[in-house]
Amino acid sequence: MIRYLVRRLLLAIPTLFGIVVLVFLLLHLAPGSPASAVGSPEAGRRVSAAAREEMRKLYGLDRPLPERFVRWIGRVARFDLGESFVDRRPVSERIREALPATLALNGLALFFTLALAVPVGVAAGGRPEGPFDRASAVVLFALYSMPVFWAALLLQTLLSVELGWLPLYGVSSDPAPGGILGLADRLEHLALPVTCLTYGSLAFFARLVRAGVVEARSQDFVTAALARGLSRRQALWRHAFRNALLPLVTLLGLLLPGLLSGSVIVERIFAWPGLGRLYFDSILSRDYPVVLGLSLLGGVATLAATLAADIAAAIVDPRLREEA
Amino acid sequence: MRRLPLAILLFALGACRGSEQTAGPPGAIARTPTVAAAPALGFLDESREGTPVEGGILRRRLVGEPATLNAVLQSGLPEQQVLQYVSRQLLDFDAQLALTPGLAQRWEVSDDGLEYRFFLERQVFWEDGSAVTSADAVFTIRQITDPKVPSPVFKPLFEDLELVEPLDARSFRVRFRNRDALHAYAFALPLLPERRFSERSIVKTRENRAPLSNGPYRVARWKTQESIELERNPRWFGVPGHFDRIIFRIVPENAVAYRAIVEGSLDESWIDQSLKERSAKDRRFQSCCRIVEFYNLDYNYIALNNRSPLFSDSRVRRAMTMLLDRPAIVSGLYHGSARIISGPWAPDSPAYDASVTPLPFDPAAAAELLDRAGWRDTNGNGTRDRNGREFEFDLLSSAGSTIGGQIDEVFSGELARAGIRAHVRPLEWSAFVERVDSGDYEAASLAWAASDANPDPFPFWHSSQFPPHGVNNAFYSNPVADRLMEEARRELDPAKRREIYHRLHRIFRDDPPVVFVVNASQKYAFRRRVRGLVTSPLGLYGFWPGPLSWWGVPDDSVTGGRPQ
Repeated sequence: MIRYLVRRLLLAIPTLFGIVVLVFLLLHLAPGSPASAVGSPEAGRRVSAAAREEMRKLYGLDRPLPERFVRWIGRVARFDLGESFVDRRPVSERIREALPATLALNGLALFFTLALAVPVGVAAGGRPEGPFDRASAVVLFALYSMPVFWAALLLQTLLSVELGWLPLYGVSSDPAPGGILGLADRLEHLALPVTCLTYGSLAFFARLVRAGVVEARSQDFVTAALARGLSRRQALWRHAFRNALLPLVTLLGLLLPGLLSGSVIVERIFAWPGLGRLYFDSILSRDYPVVLGLSLLGGVATLAATLAADIAAAIVDPRLREEA
Repeated sequence: MRRLPLAILLFALGACRGSEQTAGPPGAIARTPTVAAAPALGFLDESREGTPVEGGILRRRLVGEPATLNAVLQSGLPEQQVLQYVSRQLLDFDAQLALTPGLAQRWEVSDDGLEYRFFLERQVFWEDGSAVTSADAVFTIRQITDPKVPSPVFKPLFEDLELVEPLDARSFRVRFRNRDALHAYAFALPLLPERRFSERSIVKTRENRAPLSNGPYRVARWKTQESIELERNPRWFGVPGHFDRIIFRIVPENAVAYRAIVEGSLDESWIDQSLKERSAKDRRFQSCCRIVEFYNLDYNYIALNNRSPLFSDSRVRRAMTMLLDRPAIVSGLYHGSARIISGPWAPDSPAYDASVTPLPFDPAAAAELLDRAGWRDTNGNGTRDRNGREFEFDLLSSAGSTIGGQIDEVFSGELARAGIRAHVRPLEWSAFVERVDSGDYEAASLAWAASDANPDPFPFWHSSQFPPHGVNNAFYSNPVADRLMEEARRELDPAKRREIYHRLHRIFRDDPPVVFVVNASQKYAFRRRVRGLVTSPLGLYGFWPGPLSWWGVPDDSVTGGRPQ
């Protein structure tokens, strides 16, 4: 097991390097530059040629690409992600500021997705083509196909503007109440964005769990369990679901990095100060250091999560353990 | 509402900012005859209506987070909106586009028009109690011209600076290399406190997020990506604002900002055409809110690359103008709230000559012009050609501009009927700007945003200003126009300068560099509780005192509803 881990860790290094090189190249070869990104279509403002040239020099964009890459990698090796072109603050500071908001939002969304998807999936898979399976399929597909920006605006209009039950946007009231009320206030603000993030992935997960359960329940060991006198419920949860868990764990590994990447659409609509908005705005403004920093973070998270998923899968499935 | 007599739009002396950030808004007089009926959007001045209520909170919207609150480094609208409360300028524009004293109580211009002397007010202070001095002004201007300082808004204004030096603690002089009647516009300039930055680069300091105020308000709190809160500056020496606090909330989406206004967590926001239409049918909106609409100095145009063999002939460019159905765009896309323009200014710019009527929409006449220019369909494939080249090109647009994309579609449809194939190509903003600024395009749909009253066409249309050096990215070249633009720059008499612009206007219509489209109205949603609004061709915020004159009555629906 230890050797397996070490090997996986060593393999991660070239993978990460590859990701970083690729992102660096894509970013710098894409049309546009920090100087041309000043302004916006609404503002329509333009920068004089001389000012643009000075900006290029200032950001070191007049240096050859390999040189810029080596400099950047050199700083990264010393755990320095550089400074944002936009506000000249350290990239790490900007990421640290946006991280908690995104983690809270995506963590809760993932929690609710699983908390709903597993029972729904097991129940639906327990009696395939039964009334619950059919009904849940219709509802889940309807949810899955609903565009999130549309659903978000609809929910805002209904629950915030018309009924006044939930806050329209933001992470907290201003001024935010203290103590337990402050927590409640934050949860209130989370309600709508978490709902928007949850409903779409719910369908995906529930159907995945259902498929796993359907497959497992027709296997001999489930029949055997039923023959041993276990109740249907026990057979489903203890035996069928456990087997259906395996693909879910692998998938979770791929989804965990998504906790960091955030959701651009939901964060923009709810004016959520998270990483998704930071990433998106940084790409639009060609803030290379921030985009690279976030990509690096995403790369590390993906590799770590894949590794964790492999380990978890080994724990869940003894067969994998032995192979390893 | 009242109409502003033309004469008030005096041609102020001074000039400066080219096409910098957008300001906003307002005020316009429907005086251009356009084919489509334009609604009479007036100049709004509520400054003398009612007795202002002192105190309360004003909740404003920012589309994005300011990158900095260092006035010299500012580059966009969000920064300008916040800094207006915090950072006073040497000179200001008033609602009628005239330059007025700000931190500087007066200024003198030498006879040769090259040297400016400024005299600061006596009683002006920074937030920490120290006086605003000529050293601050000199420091600020030197920083702007420092190659290591990115100051996209102000750099172009001081590109031909020869020297700047203090005369005494309250006065300083600035000398330029070239004579430009509108140089004074450069001094609508906020100042930095020299002592605070001593010896350090102004680019990286933490102070850029906590600026030292010399304005009516100061920064109390900045929550990243959420809000910026301003409170009264106790050291402020001028007429105070009416609100105790100004809270800017960062709300990227227009549709959400609209809902926030209805709900009561925002007091104002810029909105687009579709939200304006929605508001007319929205009873809740009507009960609590209102639309403020006016014309400013912005306009749209379709740039044609004059160096391309397609558009080098003036007759072709005229034909292109006559193939764009501008009356249909005004009535169909803007529902009447736009005015057709015939030159590179909005109708409320003093440079605009209302007697220069726009070329008509006339496909038959356009076809004849194209024929005469040699563009005929010789091979019968339905597309005009000349010397083996088909009349076919990419029409670039910025993917973020809905209305720009719609105009492009209307245009390419009309062109197709005339035997010209235009492919609409939306590009992401930065990529779009890069193509256009480098001249690597054939046609592109653009918006011109005015941040000040400077009508000087020189940087944009003079043949000495081609990229990469300048921003005449249509590569327009007309010797007569060149001469007039040079003359206008040298002419210190506003009335005479205006006459030159009017002559230029006629040339720009008859030998059009590009297809000028419309000057569209600006639309804002306001909660009714906010009073004292004044609009101007520079927008709601682009002049002084601008939003400082707003005041608010307590709004029950705000306290009763959900607090933001």
